[in-house]
Amino acid sequence: MGGYVLNEIRDALANLDMDKVLELVRKAINQGFKPLDIINSMAEGMKVVGERFEGGEYFISDLIASAEIFKEAMNILEPLIMKEREAIKPIGKVVIGTVEGDIHDIGKNLVAMMLRINGFEVIDLGIDVSPQKFVEAVKQYNPDIIGMSALLTSTMINMRKVIEALEKEGLINKVKIIVGGAPITEEFAKKIGADAYGENAIIAVDICKKLIEELRSKR
Amino acid sequence: MKPRERVVLALRHEEPDRIPIDLGSTGVSSIHAKAYYDLRKYLGLPEKLPRIADIGQQLADVDKDVLEFFHVDVIDINRITEPKTPYPRRYKFTGVDGSLKEVSEDEFWVWRAPYSIDVEMPKYVEVLEGEDGFIGYVEGRPFGKIPKTGYYFWGLGHALANAKTVDDIKKYNWDAGKVSDDVVEILKKKAEYLYKNTDYALVNSFMGSPIALGAFRGLHAGGQTLRGWDRWFGDLKFRKSLAEAILDHLFEVMFYNIKKLVDTIGEYIQVQVIGYDDMGMETGPQISVEVFREFYKDRYAEIIGYVKKYSKAFTFLHSDGSIFPLIKEFIDIGLDIINPVQISAKGMEPEKLKKTYGDQITFWGAAADNQHVLPFAKPDELREHVKELIRIFAPGGGYVFANIHNVQLGVPPENIVTMFKTAYEYGRYPIR
Repeated sequence: MGGYVLNEIRDALANLDMDKVLELVRKAINQGFKPLDIINSMAEGMKVVGERFEGGEYFISDLIASAEIFKEAMNILEPLIMKEREAIKPIGKVVIGTVEGDIHDIGKNLVAMMLRINGFEVIDLGIDVSPQKFVEAVKQYNPDIIGMSALLTSTMINMRKVIEALEKEGLINKVKIIVGGAPITEEFAKKIGADAYGENAIIAVDICKKLIEELRSKR
Repeated sequence: MKPRERVVLALRHEEPDRIPIDLGSTGVSSIHAKAYYDLRKYLGLPEKLPRIADIGQQLADVDKDVLEFFHVDVIDINRITEPKTPYPRRYKFTGVDGSLKEVSEDEFWVWRAPYSIDVEMPKYVEVLEGEDGFIGYVEGRPFGKIPKTGYYFWGLGHALANAKTVDDIKKYNWDAGKVSDDVVEILKKKAEYLYKNTDYALVNSFMGSPIALGAFRGLHAGGQTLRGWDRWFGDLKFRKSLAEAILDHLFEVMFYNIKKLVDTIGEYIQVQVIGYDDMGMETGPQISVEVFREFYKDRYAEIIGYVKKYSKAFTFLHSDGSIFPLIKEFIDIGLDIINPVQISAKGMEPEKLKKTYGDQITFWGAAADNQHVLPFAKPDELREHVKELIRIFAPGGGYVFANIHNVQLGVPPENIVTMFKTAYEYGRYPIR
């Protein structure tokens, strides 16, 4: 009986039922569940959404709808978290951006959104981000991971310039590099010296989690 | 065989003498100004500044010498370089400095573009330097921003991002998207002139709305332009009355424009673009077939139905990405042409497309994998790749050879030439 409402939250989120999720979140709060447990059940629901997306049952529109439900529910939960000082420590810090010369940000935004929902702190540098800006961001924020995106075959080569700039500044060993975007391939990622290639937003999150583990075990 | 006849036969799913070729007839089958500049240089053609035909995407208007060199069969009636018409559109507007301006589309100024070449910009475009880029204005209206090292203008904000109620939607100036009668009159003259004085197949790539108002180019893209790319998905799921209200208005304007255009130029053009409406991602459609049916299908059916009932023009829809199941939905409502056929997206395998839909819809595009092959392959590899695609798509007609979307800068000129040469040399029917 104890966790019943939490399971219902997970299922309602998995089924993209916004009204039900919000109603159940309020119910769970009234029943005395901790915000963190409620968030965890929502994260489980998001995982199901991700699986259904990977399996072709859900579309990108559904993935984004799920994020909107998550955000609405967090609007209810966040004041309580602040009140209870249940500070949630992010599982890792990611600096993300679309590389220089490129203004396409749909994929990059999607990855940033999914990372945030999954407990990452994300610093989004936006579009048309120069190697210099990436370098400065590494110095300023000390992130675990750099995420780079490009849609164009003419701009994807600028990813290499970012990596070279990080090498030159002696920062490359402090961070893991993940790249993504329509023309990017695993092979290209390897060639330019990136640590990983994220084929889509769901996969990118899993990879970032793994990269964090690698970093933690090294430190 | 004359180009116009060649294109029409292909669109009727018959085999002409060879596959028809397109470069530049729409803003989704053309070439970026810098790539075009490099191409002309490579071909040893007379040096001239690229003339910008599509402001946002910085596309060049493809000149007569290049059209002829590549054996292109089809042109846009809105061209601003030869072969063009003696009927330029006139623009009257209040400029950025507040002064009243009146210019012809035949008048240009030289702009040093951020991608490091000079281009000819139409005088109805003004560009102001800002802190981190340039802001572009069309007819005095801001329409986009280009980064200081950028290649395109990027849209500015979303006009209805903060709309909460159906009333907020009503207040938007929808009528600004409607085509004016003077513009339609000039288009008629242009279409008639090119119909009588050239052998090209004629496309009208223009859907009627002012360039700065990009929302009226498609129902799905329109919703995303007005509301924001991801917010629109939430509207379709959680705020249906808001989404329906937006779509009612978008449809009303798009239908008004198509009706005006078809009624005046329908007898001269062979192809009318009815939507630039990206519905695909790399990995799958953005929306399910159910969502398509709920919001878009009936509305597009009316637009396509009108063109087909009142003209002989074939209807052309552009959607990037993986859209395999949606093609069937468009076939149901009579769409003739799908573009650009992004064969590298998931589920868009050439054999499958041709086998499943080849006799029901024309594939306009699919010349070469533009994400993995065209920019990178050696010319020999590219030639084999293009030949293979011709072997798959050409039989029985229903194929117009065009690059998948616009040729981007960075594509080696040699590869552009190889691609089009292969189409001409190996595209003769019967295909072997």
